[in-house]
Amino acid sequence: MTDDVLLRATDVVKNFTMRSRGSGPRVVVQAVAGVSLEARRGETLGIVGESGCGKSTLARCLVQLTPVTSGHVEFNGVEITGLSRRRLRPHRREMQLVFQDPYSSLNPRRKVGDIVAEPLRISHFGDAEHTRARVAELLSTVGLDPASVNRYPHEFSGGQRQRIGIARALALNPSLVVADEPVSALDVSVQAQVLNLMADLQRELSLTYLFIAHDLGVVRHVSDRVGVMYLGEIVEMGDAETLYERPLHPYTEALLSVVPELDDGTHPPRDRIVLTGDVPNPSHKPPGCPFHPRCPVAQAKCAVEKPTLVELSPGRSVACHFPRHDS
Amino acid sequence: MPESTDPATPLLEVDDLKVSFATRDGVVRAVDGLSLSVGRQEVVGIVGESGSGKSVSMYSLLGLVRDANVTISGRVRFEGRDILGLPDEDLRVIRGRDVAMIFQDPMTALTPVYNVGWQIVEQIRAHEDVTKAQARARAVELLGEVGIPDPARRVDLYPHEFSGGMRQRVVIAMALSCHPRLLIADEPTTALDVTTQAQILELIKKLQATYGSSVVLITHDMGVISEMADRVVVMYAGRPVEVGDRREVIRQPRHPYTWGLLGAVPRVESKRNRLVTIPGTAVSPLNLPVGCAFAPRCAHRFEACDQRPDLHGQGAHLDACWLSDEQKVQIRARVAATGVTT
Repeated sequence: MTDDVLLRATDVVKNFTMRSRGSGPRVVVQAVAGVSLEARRGETLGIVGESGCGKSTLARCLVQLTPVTSGHVEFNGVEITGLSRRRLRPHRREMQLVFQDPYSSLNPRRKVGDIVAEPLRISHFGDAEHTRARVAELLSTVGLDPASVNRYPHEFSGGQRQRIGIARALALNPSLVVADEPVSALDVSVQAQVLNLMADLQRELSLTYLFIAHDLGVVRHVSDRVGVMYLGEIVEMGDAETLYERPLHPYTEALLSVVPELDDGTHPPRDRIVLTGDVPNPSHKPPGCPFHPRCPVAQAKCAVEKPTLVELSPGRSVACHFPRHDS
Repeated sequence: MPESTDPATPLLEVDDLKVSFATRDGVVRAVDGLSLSVGRQEVVGIVGESGSGKSVSMYSLLGLVRDANVTISGRVRFEGRDILGLPDEDLRVIRGRDVAMIFQDPMTALTPVYNVGWQIVEQIRAHEDVTKAQARARAVELLGEVGIPDPARRVDLYPHEFSGGMRQRVVIAMALSCHPRLLIADEPTTALDVTTQAQILELIKKLQATYGSSVVLITHDMGVISEMADRVVVMYAGRPVEVGDRREVIRQPRHPYTWGLLGAVPRVESKRNRLVTIPGTAVSPLNLPVGCAFAPRCAHRFEACDQRPDLHGQGAHLDACWLSDEQKVQIRARVAATGVTT
């Protein structure tokens, strides 16, 4: 059972401390507020949430790009929080990132071949000839011409650049790929190409994906299981299909109800739940349930008592006192 | 006062609009023959991917493309009056009063160094002879109308003190301050989260109903079109490839590009194993093919595609594709079943 889990996070917290206006009082912003999750081998775990919900910070904490404030992350059964850089390195090889912006995540002054070869060089992959062969192989794996090693990132379109980023992430045969909004900067037709490519690679290379995005359609499309984040917490988790069809948390329900859908006149109109107000400032979280000020079904209890994430049925968890779709 | 208020004339008529830029590498044909009309109180959606010419076409008809190397031709009538190439002082009267714009990034429409009240007051006083106090009272009223809580206090805040969604509301308040007859919204919700997007779209719908304005909504998101537009224009490489009633286009898309565009969107309501993809990337506007601009990426091209198709069809649903109606129906069914455009 445990063998099944590639990555396990327990109660991960990440606080940022800042001073307002330079010299004011210290303000603690809890970007990730106690997240526990598991990514199983070979699956895609989707994390969805609006901007500022802490999903990117969570991703960075999980791969130890940012040290956690508290909590534990286990990778392949090994606790990786608090490891020194040197001891972390063999694990790093196994987990790679694909970033959102294919324009800023590739060094504009380096050739594509060097960009993809960099992880190989750092991990002493082999001599120049081996490296060249591996780079050529990686480029063709992601659907680029292996002859483009001597070109620079600016010579490529956004979709092709994202392919370069994916090739770099795959260079060391990772088992986990953390993709933080990998397609949100791309046009829809190109987005579809990249999503299909990622699906093919997952199958061919038995990859586990942690897929972070704000687009509910994209997350549904790629994910086996989905976690919904709000103000640094996972408020609902479940397998993609049941979560999308029978959301338990009022926030999930509202999110899903307002995604613009293609209406060809054959479906009955949906009940849209338009939330009022904005997401509260994470440095001044409301007491009780963090969602209660915007929740259409909040009751008195929600303002005082904070709900915890509880498993209602196998694999289905929700942090809400009054979950929807009971049973 | 407008020259023609005859309700039968469309509010905006664009006829064979062409916008090209002379660059060091050659002539970039950004808009290559766009015709469209916007009726009174109608919401027309223009959909297309980046570089398809949807924004630049709307900017150019308002004289907002001020590049020394630009060439604009065609005919644009607003309420029956030719406005393309009018001197700037005449256009300035139209912009803001008769036609207002909302942009993707609200910060491009707001200056960071003045409070929002000042900016709305300036806009009102540019077009109407009112006192500062009157204009300010109107600004407060407008901010309340677009759903900004506590408008009497917020009117003195600066743009950076608002969230993205609230900032977009400020821009909408400004756009509506003179009750424009046409509102051009260029990706008004692309930078916003989905819950905020829902709020802003509802607001635009509500205000459109209250003031009876017409709206041109530019977006890349077919879902937004589906929720907002009466009619849709699908653009590719600077030309319309399909035009029709929103439901018709979504239910029975006729152009291979529209098939790809609709099939490429991952949906929340159904998990599909494979997305429809359009091979390749958009053509460069520097060297558009002689024939159909979509042909190099189209799996269904044949000899006829060496000639450039114009919009054609019966009724109000038009498309620019040489395939016969029967072929379109057959291929569309196959694409829907298999998820591949080839």
